Amino acid sequence: MDTTVRRGDRVCRTIGLAGIVFFLVSAFSPLAYRLNQWMADSPRLVASDAIVVLGGWISPSGMLSLESLRRTNRGIELYRRGLAPVLILLGGSTGGGPTEAEVRAAQARLHGIPADAILTETRARTTREEAARVKALLEPRGVRTVLLVTNAGHLARARPLFERAGFEVRGVPSDPLVGADAPESRIAQMRVLVKEFLGWLYYRIAGYI
Amino acid sequence: MEATFIAALAGLTSIGAYYVGARALGLPSARLGAAVGKMLESVGMVLIFLAVNLTTSVLVVLVVRGLADTFVSAYAVDDAVWLGLSLIQGLAFQSWRGSAAEPASGR
Repeated sequence: MDTTVRRGDRVCRTIGLAGIVFFLVSAFSPLAYRLNQWMADSPRLVASDAIVVLGGWISPSGMLSLESLRRTNRGIELYRRGLAPVLILLGGSTGGGPTEAEVRAAQARLHGIPADAILTETRARTTREEAARVKALLEPRGVRTVLLVTNAGHLARARPLFERAGFEVRGVPSDPLVGADAPESRIAQMRVLVKEFLGWLYYRIAGYI
Repeated sequence: MEATFIAALAGLTSIGAYYVGARALGLPSARLGAAVGKMLESVGMVLIFLAVNLTTSVLVVLVVRGLADTFVSAYAVDDAVWLGLSLIQGLAFQSWRGSAAEPASGR
């Protein structure tokens, strides 16, 4: 009978209701943007020993993803503002194509950054590996303070990893500074935040941070 | 602006659907609450399938990383297609459950 709601149905209804409320709030309120701002903290743009731009994604044909481009541009901007003498660009390759770090380095040189101010690291595959590789690269150079460039959601996981590696970290989010109005953009932003939250949770459980 | 426009339009088509259902098709208004409940159950089932699919795929990635000598990125499971597949799975499973609750039709 209709009035008899089985126990499983009640669970499904509750999950369904929660999902719909979450979807509507994500799409029609600035929640994702506010959460992003909160996670980004206020960036500390102070002179540092190096600018570290974390990897995003590159297609097998050598096209940087939008997020990778954003991070690269932010790193270039910080260098051009004279905030650090070295720019470290990270990122490996996908499917045997060119490495993200080398494509980014070419981009940086096109923007007038001298080749000897650019360092690349192409072997790291995870954020944890990036922290370890950057440590190996920068420790012999006596680098202590870094401007760490990545998206705000990722900073929550990347910052403690780099602090554990021995750096004093100034997080610089690469996200656009204006909130999106289109529901699709808000949903996309929330999706990134959820993904990064799960990544953060995994790193916490695994004891990496 | 865009969000307001979309929300207003969805509100209008929902009201339109209510009138079509109630007036043109003669559906009883009193049954709308139960129908919404059924819709929530289906959405819930789709979300359960989505969670199971994503959790399983992440576990598979971690196992492959641990056993094989190749690296598989956890971002490989981050694909919108999971939502579509979970939709199909969830709705099919929910229909199956619903049909099991109904009396057998004879054949």
